[in-house]
Amino acid sequence: MIRGPVIGEVWATRKAPGLDGRKLVLVAVRGADRLTGRVVVAIDTIDARLGQEVTVSFGSGARNVLVPGPDNRGVLADAAVSVIIDGEG
Amino acid sequence: MFLGRIVGNVWSTVKWPELSGLKLLLVRPYALADLAAPPAPRAPTTELVVCADTLDAGVGDDVVIAYGHAARVAVSQTLGETERPSVPIDAAVVAVVDRIEVKTGD
Repeated sequence: MIRGPVIGEVWATRKAPGLDGRKLVLVAVRGADRLTGRVVVAIDTIDARLGQEVTVSFGSGARNVLVPGPDNRGVLADAAVSVIIDGEG
Repeated sequence: MFLGRIVGNVWSTVKWPELSGLKLLLVRPYALADLAAPPAPRAPTTELVVCADTLDAGVGDDVVIAYGHAARVAVSQTLGETERPSVPIDAAVVAVVDRIEVKTGD
């Protein structure tokens, strides 16, 4: 997983059928002391807001955010917002 | 997934049979600095990604690219009834972007 702030949103009408109705957010990847400059696109199902610090899960972890369980191999997801971070120490 | 701009095409005659009919594109990923000053990627980048196209995207389009199994799911959905899990790709266009809205605080 990575973590970082939600910095924006992406809209598309032409998309793979598996992405229909999905909200796509832009998350800037945070490093040890600053943003790394990398940006990922993640499916958001937990209503993450602009500026909120979140974690993004990749791969089968992302599929488990959308459809938990063993029968989700057909789900089109490789990155999903999994946690909205309240604080850390 | 990541956001990128299509900068070119890749042609091939010798390839894995599962790939025949599949268009391959060169995509330049957007960095944070690019999004702060749209519309075109400007920051130096060290990598171009070769992606399968299933949405008839072209040079100049901004697209969302999925990696790994999700890329194969996207290709399977558009290439036919039968699933093709053995198709040897790990990156595919899954959305052609209409609008990007960015607000960077730090």
